[in-house]
Amino acid sequence: MAVFDTPEEAFGALRPVCVQLTKTQTVENVEHLQAQLQAVSDSALQELQQYILFPLRFTLKTPGPKRERLIQSVVECLTFVLSSTCVKEQVLLQELFSEISACLYSPKSQKPAAVSEELKLAVIQGLSTLMHSAYGDILLAFYEPSILPRLGFAVSLLLDLAEQEKSKQIKIAALKCLQVLLFQCDCQDHPRSLDELEQKQLGDLFASFLPGISMALARVITGDFKQGHGIIVSSLKTFYKTVSFIMADEQLERISKVQPKPAVEHRVAELMVHREAKWVKNTSDKLTILIKKIIECVSGHPHWKVRLALIELVEALLLKCSQSLVGSAGPLLKALVGLVNDESPEVQAQCSKVLRHFADQKVVVGNRAFADILSENLHSLATSLPRLMSSQDDQGKFSTLSLLLGYLKLLGPRVNFVLNSVTHLQRLSKALIQVLELDVTDIKVVEERCWNSGPLGASETAATQPRSPMQRRYFRFFTDERLFLLLQQVCQLLGFYGDVYLLIDHFMELYRESVVYRKQAAMILNELVAGAAGLEVENLHENHIKTSTEELREIVTSILEEYTSQENWYLTTCIESEEVGEELTMKQSGLQAITSGAHTCQVTSFPAFSKPSPTICSMNSNIWQICIQLEGIGRFAYALGKDFRLLLMTALYPVLEKAGDQTLLISQAATSAMMDICHTCGYYSLQHLINQNSDYLVNGISLNLRHLSLHPHTPKVLEVMLWNSDASLLPLVADVVQDVLATLDQFYDKRAASFVGVLHALLAALEEQSDPPKVDESDTGPDVEPPLPVQIQIATDVMERCIHMLSDKNLKIRLKVLDVLNLCVVVLQSHKNQLLPLAHRAWPPLVHRLTNDDPLVVLRAFKVLRTLGGKCGDFLRSRFCKDILPKLAGSLVTQAPVSARAGPVYSHTLAFKLQLAVLQGLGPLCERLDLGDSDLNKVADACLIYLSAKQPMKLQEAARRVFLHLMKVDPDSTWFLLNELYCPEQLTPPHPSLHPVQLRGTMGQGNPYAANVLCLLQELQ
Amino acid sequence: MAASPLPPPDPCFVLRGAQSAVHALHFFGGAQGQVHPLLLSGSLSGLVHIWSLQTRRAVATLDGHGGQCVTWLQTLPQGRQLLSQGRDLKLCLWDLAEGRNTVVDSVPLESMGFCRSSILAGGQERWMLAMPGRGNDEVQILEMPSKTSVCTLKPEADAKPGMPMCLELWQADSSPRPLLLAGYEDGSVALWDVSERKVCSRVACHTEPVMGFDFDSQKARGVSGSAEKALAVWSLDEQQALQMCRTHELTNPGIADVKIRPDRKILATAGWDHRVRVFHWRTMKPLAVLSFHSATIHCVAFATDGLLAAGSGDQRISIWSLYPIA
Repeated sequence: MAVFDTPEEAFGALRPVCVQLTKTQTVENVEHLQAQLQAVSDSALQELQQYILFPLRFTLKTPGPKRERLIQSVVECLTFVLSSTCVKEQVLLQELFSEISACLYSPKSQKPAAVSEELKLAVIQGLSTLMHSAYGDILLAFYEPSILPRLGFAVSLLLDLAEQEKSKQIKIAALKCLQVLLFQCDCQDHPRSLDELEQKQLGDLFASFLPGISMALARVITGDFKQGHGIIVSSLKTFYKTVSFIMADEQLERISKVQPKPAVEHRVAELMVHREAKWVKNTSDKLTILIKKIIECVSGHPHWKVRLALIELVEALLLKCSQSLVGSAGPLLKALVGLVNDESPEVQAQCSKVLRHFADQKVVVGNRAFADILSENLHSLATSLPRLMSSQDDQGKFSTLSLLLGYLKLLGPRVNFVLNSVTHLQRLSKALIQVLELDVTDIKVVEERCWNSGPLGASETAATQPRSPMQRRYFRFFTDERLFLLLQQVCQLLGFYGDVYLLIDHFMELYRESVVYRKQAAMILNELVAGAAGLEVENLHENHIKTSTEELREIVTSILEEYTSQENWYLTTCIESEEVGEELTMKQSGLQAITSGAHTCQVTSFPAFSKPSPTICSMNSNIWQICIQLEGIGRFAYALGKDFRLLLMTALYPVLEKAGDQTLLISQAATSAMMDICHTCGYYSLQHLINQNSDYLVNGISLNLRHLSLHPHTPKVLEVMLWNSDASLLPLVADVVQDVLATLDQFYDKRAASFVGVLHALLAALEEQSDPPKVDESDTGPDVEPPLPVQIQIATDVMERCIHMLSDKNLKIRLKVLDVLNLCVVVLQSHKNQLLPLAHRAWPPLVHRLTNDDPLVVLRAFKVLRTLGGKCGDFLRSRFCKDILPKLAGSLVTQAPVSARAGPVYSHTLAFKLQLAVLQGLGPLCERLDLGDSDLNKVADACLIYLSAKQPMKLQEAARRVFLHLMKVDPDSTWFLLNELYCPEQLTPPHPSLHPVQLRGTMGQGNPYAANVLCLLQELQ
Repeated sequence: MAASPLPPPDPCFVLRGAQSAVHALHFFGGAQGQVHPLLLSGSLSGLVHIWSLQTRRAVATLDGHGGQCVTWLQTLPQGRQLLSQGRDLKLCLWDLAEGRNTVVDSVPLESMGFCRSSILAGGQERWMLAMPGRGNDEVQILEMPSKTSVCTLKPEADAKPGMPMCLELWQADSSPRPLLLAGYEDGSVALWDVSERKVCSRVACHTEPVMGFDFDSQKARGVSGSAEKALAVWSLDEQQALQMCRTHELTNPGIADVKIRPDRKILATAGWDHRVRVFHWRTMKPLAVLSFHSATIHCVAFATDGLLAAGSGDQRISIWSLYPIA
């Protein structure tokens, strides 16, 4: 590019311009020179450096007022030359330095002259370029004591600009330039490493500026938030680099006690600082004040880069000035620790990195002073924690808890110094308990029920899912979800580093002390155990010894015992309809009663296990307590891993018990606890878990059945177990089934409902077992009856009980019993010798159900009859026709005129529902039983009336369906019967010799049967 | 106000899965060496189950008696060896070390009776075995493991005590001579001096066959049960003469087994009435009636730590912890 490669050529071209400029100092001439310079090669420029600089410097030095514009162009041109050349002479460097810096000063005042921003920028740029263009050794030589006044002048100039200017660009440039002057520039051109002597030399020199620099920068940093993060970041960097350089422990160690006589003139010597102990102490005290201010202001700065710079500051000062700035260590550590949970992932990562670095370097643990400071900080935080937790908003709580977390992380095993102090442990636990208080006013928690019996949800995916997500809970004193995560982490760290026996004992005591603390204490206990096991804990202290598995198992066993004890596991969570003995249907379920009591809410002072009418709040609270304890069991499983298998003999039973709970939340919590167990103990589904541990469950069930009044939920456990296992279980449960039946015999009146549930589950399991095991008949003699297969024996025994319970006064029970009875018939179908006598005995109550009961029961009873009809038809047919048919037909006939006349409200009456049930039940049964002609006629006669258009629509439909079934049994007579009612067409004899047939059914428009009969006849064709 | 009586205790837990009536029980380990004791059970169908009391599950099943009832189980103090007696007329010696479960030796039995054998084993290699002999009323003594016959103990011609029903070999602290206590079909208990092959003393305890007894060699006192409605307590004086001390009347007849707890504080009986009864051993004061089973109890056993096990015709083994050993 260069046109003039050699100095000679360049000289030729530049000479006239330089001469011109020397003669006439105008902007145009400067610009002319700069334009010519563009064409000169760097090497030629270096040769001619002094020559070209002359007219420029001459311009600056000419006395008298000058136009700003001219100075600016001169400085820019100078800068251009310097950026392409090197300064090789110290004198030149010093002179240029003075000349450029002087451009901004008005000769009269000490303040920067009121000049244009462009000029300011040009001067700053010029200074920076100058320092970069100096040769390495020249540059170092520049920093000798004699330069102190001039350097000081420039430094204060730049600080002024950084602090006072409005333009962001100038501020940034000034700060950059300051870094260059202070040897902090991280560009390539600067000499990178200084030896000890050089460091000390610079340190001695810069020490004079420390008060000025630190105070000015602190003002910038703590200034307007709106000035932009770049300026604050840059100032922070300059601040810590300067401080950590001048106050470096390494340098200060080598400072001699007596100040050597400086070889400079007196004026300069006065400016020099000797960094001896007293000075260090003084400076450190003042810096501490500044550092505190800076931290206070910056740790909450909205921009993450500022917070990131703060971490750098902390790291640099703690690493390099741990002795000189020991007074600042407290605030510095606090700042660091407070950012450990920063919302910005970058800041968080950097913070963790620094913490880890500190731990590796034993900065804290290896340094008594720091450890003491941290413990002191934690002490005072623990002291104020309860107050802070009750007074701060979510954001404030967040930073306080982040701080707590950071202290714990950093202190590691040393937290025990704090925990061992009874008062501090109490403070800490009080704060945790207080902030974790749940909001228990939500009615939904109490209202939501799960009614369905059957397999528990999600049994297939257990093994593949990671830990189940936690149930959403609401806290009284905060809403921010992150706070709960923080609290969890705090507890986990306590469990990890703290004396776990001490902590468990302490919170166990709180758990026992009052129902007000119980839920929070349980949450904390859960996390302590998880932490002790090292789950989700990032260990910063490598030599920390974790709690052993053996100890952990011991701890978990004792907590489990407490959780599942009578008074903590069996809490009132609903108004139990069964105990009150009300005959409520499922839909009504007593919810209104609960809801109406909602306004009498009193906060948890209610003792949970005494039983006066429970309020919504106490039930809600109880539900949460159980859920938290269940969640704990899942956590414990994770903590112990496969070792948890050994606890299944005591833990699985109570969990399964809750899986069958009617409160949705509890049942869900129990199911997810079981999934956790599956996951950690290696079971691939809930069914697998239950099957493999059915021996433990059966053990619990059989022992608890002995004290049913103490363990009223025992039948439910067996029920849930049966619904969730397979028939391979049967041999194991055989003896328990006998126990159940024996207990049922004792408690028909009181606990029938829960037992019917078991029987239902049991028979469903038996029915599922499609292939009854073959009985080995080889060792039984010809005269000896082979023993009955176990499932037949069970079904026989159960059916026996069903006969008794068919007449129970509770509708729900009667319905369930009919279901069980139905299953008994299915299971016993191939054992007529057992089935028939039982069917015979079941007959009278069954007749009663069909002829004299709720419509729901009637329908269910029809279903049983149909099943029975399939298994023992002959027996049933005659009985049905004799005992039941006349009554049902009679009631249909007598009721028909009533329904024909009734209005729309009729369909809500019991009578209507009964008619409908009988009509719905009759058809399929007639078909199944293969009734004879006369009996079919009875059915048809009774139902014909309901084909009338005057009947309610639903009854007509049901009647039509009866006839559809009858058609299948005997199409001809049905055809005849229908035509007798309504004959749609004149029947023409196929041959004239035959008499024409006249059926009774009239053809007229007014025939009320026309529509239905037509419809049915179409089906027949 | 009188304190209401404590509710009857429950078993700690129940072992299920023996698959037939349980006729023999024996605790193994637990005191030294092994942390968690095992329980061995012998069943009507000829199987021996080894139960872990830690997991409460069967860890192994030994099938060595051809489907015939296992009536007696005993482990040897040295090594992990087990003796099982079956109604297939065989005594099997099992090696259980390191997870093995193989029959290493067997001794043919020549009596079909119900009599359980007994051993006398110290720490030495050689040990002594007493088992029902070929003759109806004989007891045979073998030296083991060589299976050398030491002697046959046959009652004098005029005694006619009937078959031996239960045996216990023991050794007094004062003398190295092995002694044998034997309960007989006629309800008597006899003390044999094995080396002299003669009866030292005999006492009539019951009017029915002795079904089981246990002997406290420290107190020189024994207790026996039979088909009748009473327990008999008898003692042995310094002249080695057996004497009846007292009888204790029971509510229901039939005791299948009697065991004194190793700490000699209490004893337990296995009742035909489906119940285990616990007595204070010194005073014979009844302490508890343990009801859980739904069939005859065939056997009871105590572990060194005091745990009690009862095996029943209902195929279950119940484990109880009563008056824990301090």
